[in-house]
Amino acid sequence: MTTLDKSTAAPRMTASERGQFSLRTIFQGLTGRPMPLVGTLIVTFFIALALFGPQIAPFRFDEIIRGAARQPPSSTYWFGTDHLGRDVFSRVVWGAREIITIPLITTFLCVTLGATIGMFIGYVGGWVDEIVARLLDSLLAIPALVLAMVMLGTIGPSVAGIIIVIVLLYTPIVARVVRSATLNLRAAGYIEAAKLRGENIAYILFREILPGVLPALAVEAALRFSYAIFLTASLGFLGLGVQPPSPDWGRMVNEARSTFSLTPWALWFPAAAIGLLIIGVNLLSDGLRRVFRREGQLV
Amino acid sequence: MGNSWLGRPLFARLILALFVLALTLVGGIVSAQDAPAGVLRIGLPAPVVLDPSLHTNDPETLLNRAIYDYLVEVLPDSTIGPNLATDWTISDDGLTYTFNLRDDVTFHDGSQFTATDVVFTFDRIREAGSPALNILGDGYTVAADGDFTVVFTLPEVNADFLYGLGAPQSLVLKAGTAEPNVIVEGDNPYVNFNGTGPFILESYEPGAGATLVANDAYWTDGLQLSGLQLVFIDDSVAQVDALLSGQLDFIFKVPIAQVDRLADLQGINVLQRSTSQHPVIRLRTDEGHLGADVRVRQAFKYATDREALNDILLQGRGTVGNNDPIAPVFSFFFDSNIQNQTYDPAMACDLLTEAGMNPVEATLYVPEAFEYADMAALLQQQWAAACINVDIQVRTEGYYYDVSNPDNYFDVDLGITGWGARPSPQILLRQAYIESGIETYFNESRFVDPELEALVAEASQTTDQDARRAIYAQVSQIFLERGPIIVPYFAPLFGATSGRVQGLEMAPFVGLTDLRSVSLSG
Repeated sequence: MTTLDKSTAAPRMTASERGQFSLRTIFQGLTGRPMPLVGTLIVTFFIALALFGPQIAPFRFDEIIRGAARQPPSSTYWFGTDHLGRDVFSRVVWGAREIITIPLITTFLCVTLGATIGMFIGYVGGWVDEIVARLLDSLLAIPALVLAMVMLGTIGPSVAGIIIVIVLLYTPIVARVVRSATLNLRAAGYIEAAKLRGENIAYILFREILPGVLPALAVEAALRFSYAIFLTASLGFLGLGVQPPSPDWGRMVNEARSTFSLTPWALWFPAAAIGLLIIGVNLLSDGLRRVFRREGQLV
Repeated sequence: MGNSWLGRPLFARLILALFVLALTLVGGIVSAQDAPAGVLRIGLPAPVVLDPSLHTNDPETLLNRAIYDYLVEVLPDSTIGPNLATDWTISDDGLTYTFNLRDDVTFHDGSQFTATDVVFTFDRIREAGSPALNILGDGYTVAADGDFTVVFTLPEVNADFLYGLGAPQSLVLKAGTAEPNVIVEGDNPYVNFNGTGPFILESYEPGAGATLVANDAYWTDGLQLSGLQLVFIDDSVAQVDALLSGQLDFIFKVPIAQVDRLADLQGINVLQRSTSQHPVIRLRTDEGHLGADVRVRQAFKYATDREALNDILLQGRGTVGNNDPIAPVFSFFFDSNIQNQTYDPAMACDLLTEAGMNPVEATLYVPEAFEYADMAALLQQQWAAACINVDIQVRTEGYYYDVSNPDNYFDVDLGITGWGARPSPQILLRQAYIESGIETYFNESRFVDPELEALVAEASQTTDQDARRAIYAQVSQIFLERGPIIVPYFAPLFGATSGRVQGLEMAPFVGLTDLRSVSLSG
């Protein structure tokens, strides 16, 4: 009677098959071309703002400076002050933390959930795959902003509510992408080998399949992050986001809209910040896609 | 073939698309600016409740007021004037009101207006539970005495009864109209919009707009407009933009931040009217809630800098009142001798310490309307210096004022509520600050004070102005000492017209603005 030795019986996949890639390769890929480099610099800049904003900003985000309402940009107030007398520069700087934190949390959650669901249904296949995939498709048919407005209008706006809504909206999208990638890997030799070794499903999903779908997942995560920023800002603009006096950029744009004729700068800067951050994240995700495609991890 | 213009499809399609877009835009502008002569174009939010006996807000009132008439008019200076009733008498005991009606009035369907229509209208108002009952009371009876005389009998004296007859919902309907303002199928979809008013509804597109034509058979000769075009635009800034681009002639409720923008422009007239419209910062006073202890209510008053709120939010254009709903615009009833609590954060902290509530940690709920979210941000800072820490939660108006939601205006501990203009302070006192107001969802602070109840009841039955003024002075004193609200200011109402509009005087409750004497030049 022969015994099956897990370490030798089945062939292990190659580095390329498993989707392994080094951080150095990614870094070189992102910094070696101008557009990804610009994206990387922009995102790094905003992350630095989010981390060190309170130390950089000359005022607190909610500080109303008496007698300084509606001041145009100057050496004291770099971006001017809003209709209440709050320093716009300080609010934009503090706001970086809000606009990055919420999308980061939601992206982490929807990537984790979406990857798990996508790998599971892609690997298991059959009627489970059919039912769950169609269910996910049906969720995707509803416009994101409309669904978010309905849900937040019902449960009331709060940070927790925004996170739940964005996770619910974007998890199906991630799951769909990961499912497609999993379907391509399902018949790979190393997966069959793992089955033969008697590995359980969790091992196969997270140790064998996950590395293979990681490139697609990384690109999707960057895209979801960018969309989450946009949705968070949109909800803030519609008054369904973070509550005042929070320096949420979307809310700042909304507040400045009605006073645009008096304090146009209060609208320009947060709007420009939203645009710049989204452009940066998109350039970065595009760079990531190029790196993985070049390395043969993406088609 | 390859060299034809079709050989460059992308370029050709782009040019074509731009051309079509340009034509559409130009066409839109031309059609908007080519309004028929004599037609007043008004920008306003879309009405929701069309029933003339049940509507509540300004857009609904403005639409219905154009189609229907009131028995009497509440004039812009809050006095009462004749309308379908030419004159009236009040019995010595104050319980019987007899009105003589015009005999030259017809409905839009050509039928004669008589006392029967008035009886039908006010019976329906009572049966439907109309908001007008807040002023009329529900104990009246109404009867016709011949074709053109109508008699109201009251169970007790009601000093504001005439204001009730001029309330937004007291529009006179045709007797027997089962479903007023319900659009029906067929050739005459607007048959149920049958009033005696100056304008006849010609078309109504929900959410988009309405057109009305002048009623040629109207009973007064002063009508100068040939029609109205109502354009439904919810966003107030978009309304301003539409006015500036020449697509509208009249808008109301212009945001304060837009006033300076409009004031400097030629061809635009900014209208301003002092009103009793005001926000209240209010605490729930029932047991177990934030404001149950009178010292906490006092602390909030000392913690609030009303002048700063008026200066920053309204650029000083509002009027600071007395922390009660009796506005300075009710000049005869307003007591200018009341000394409000001045901003004193240290005093607020002391009071809270005495009450065992230092510091206060609370959530301030605010509707997304007017400048209220900004007010909350300012209050948060003022109160922080006075041992009161609040977290702000802004809700859309629809959500906030819907009592079926968990954190609605009526149930929250601490909130800001906007109160629209009323023709008499008595109406607000009766609606919001006596025990019966709890059942009707108006007494949001659950304030129940036996002395105040007695004074409000006495004022209701006091027709002598001096005696009533003395009663209101006592009412103001109660609000000062233990009242549940802070009134930071009474806000003016701003509207704007294009240069061609003449003779338009906004009413404090702007939906009641009388358009019959308005004319257009050019």
